[in-house]
Amino acid sequence: MKRRSLVLVTVDCLRADHVGFQGYSRPVTPFLDLLAKESVVFTNAIVAGVPTYFSVPAMLASRYPLSLGRDVVGIAPHEPTIASAMRQAGSSTAAFLAANPYLSSRFGYHEDFETFCDFLTDSLADGATLSRAAEDKSLSDFNRRVRMFSRGTHLTAAAYDELYFWYCQWRSWRENVSMDGLRRYPAADVIVDQACSWLSGIGDQPFFLWLHLMDPHYPHYPPQEALAALGLSHFTARRARVLNSAWNRDDIGPQRLRRYRERILSLYDAGVYWVDKQISRLVSALREWQRWDETIFALTADHGEEFLEQGGRYHSPVTMREELVRVPLLVRMPGVSSRTAKGPFSLIHLAPTLLEAAGIAPPDTFQGRSRWDQLSTGTDLPSELAIAESVGTGKNILRADERMRPCQMAVRGEAYKLVINFNEKAERLYDLRSDPREQSPLPAGVARAERARLLQAAREHLQKTRHNQNSDLALRARLRELRHAVS
Amino acid sequence: MAEYRTVHLPEDLCAAAEKWTPKRFESLEALLRFLLAEIVKEDGSKLDQAEEQMIQDRLRDLGYI
Repeated sequence: MKRRSLVLVTVDCLRADHVGFQGYSRPVTPFLDLLAKESVVFTNAIVAGVPTYFSVPAMLASRYPLSLGRDVVGIAPHEPTIASAMRQAGSSTAAFLAANPYLSSRFGYHEDFETFCDFLTDSLADGATLSRAAEDKSLSDFNRRVRMFSRGTHLTAAAYDELYFWYCQWRSWRENVSMDGLRRYPAADVIVDQACSWLSGIGDQPFFLWLHLMDPHYPHYPPQEALAALGLSHFTARRARVLNSAWNRDDIGPQRLRRYRERILSLYDAGVYWVDKQISRLVSALREWQRWDETIFALTADHGEEFLEQGGRYHSPVTMREELVRVPLLVRMPGVSSRTAKGPFSLIHLAPTLLEAAGIAPPDTFQGRSRWDQLSTGTDLPSELAIAESVGTGKNILRADERMRPCQMAVRGEAYKLVINFNEKAERLYDLRSDPREQSPLPAGVARAERARLLQAAREHLQKTRHNQNSDLALRARLRELRHAVS
Repeated sequence: MAEYRTVHLPEDLCAAAEKWTPKRFESLEALLRFLLAEIVKEDGSKLDQAEEQMIQDRLRDLGYI
């Protein structure tokens, strides 16, 4: 079989229900919607972990995130990945990652990429969107004292927090700011520019290109062009800053936060639109260079995002809700008919499937299985359960001892989903057909056989992944952590 | 009283490690002791066992094992 090239685009925080090809009504993904018509669309793609540091190893190395031990984060040194397999097969490899600190050489992501650019410059790493008032030292001293006194009663504490928040906004309102200036990561156009420049220099060699785009990630400062395209030009940079700051408040409850939700969603959608527009540009370039017809293209996300559906924001790995674990997945493979795969599809299977589609045998260490056979022949994908796992939040997830906590696990079937919280020693079973928003866990006595089936799958998963740990990879990863810990 | 074992390491490796050794370790031996203790630590496997046990208990409650 002819060797093919591969483009993998991972979009941080992109929810499955915020792309047009999965039914979203706002026209944020016009290009991807068209591409979906010639692709395989997996409407129930499930990540293997939340957030980024637990999700991406499954996508690149086809490994469950906790299977090397919960003290391991990232790709283990010399761990086989899509990149290593493609490189060994003679492809050029490059990664352009939009400044997500968890996807850096510190965590082994650079290995086997001949060109690796994570955009983690100092200015991006410490860019703060909080107002300068909060950073003024003399003011901070004064405020610290006032704040201390205000903690006397709940009422005075709330009054202080409210006044201080709006005081900061008032101070920062006078600053001349732009969306581009406030953004904390490079926007998709910057990443695609770099990718196109790299592609233009590799001739007709097969390649593997990985892009990680951050545009839908908080804080939301989409380009004005994206806002204008969605009829949202009234969002100025100043307004966006107030909204982002308000959305980030810890001192007010979900009820008050809810008043910002729709506007935050608009900013988020504009980020998604920008991703779509830049991917369109990338595909145009590949077409122009006559590389598109030989290229496999996959787009997915590392996890979704919560917008107060059950009171949560962002993507904390506590609930394993559908908003977090279900992500878009679109795979366009030359010669493969378009179709929609509706059953649960774990992203653990993505890497072996993409490699086989590219004509390369997946490494033995991969825990997922290629579905290339079924996709290329148009036969049904096996009906299976998808498992996602993570460790709850500590103060600093980068410290291994903070990750020594009980995990959360979701076992996602087509109709039922079981969420196990090992910390609370409790499980919740949902019937997604009647309760897609996971609002009412089924009582213990209901659907006992389903509960037992999913529990059994969880047990088998633990036995398989933890007992058969690849001790060589685990040791290497642990040594890398130790080197960082002691130096 | 703890027993000790003599381990032979190449001189050039020891010298390079001594050069690299961070200040918090008074000697190469201290660094090696720390590293080995960290490597054999079994915090994670205890949690793994507890999690597996919890599922087993639930399956037993439901009458499936």
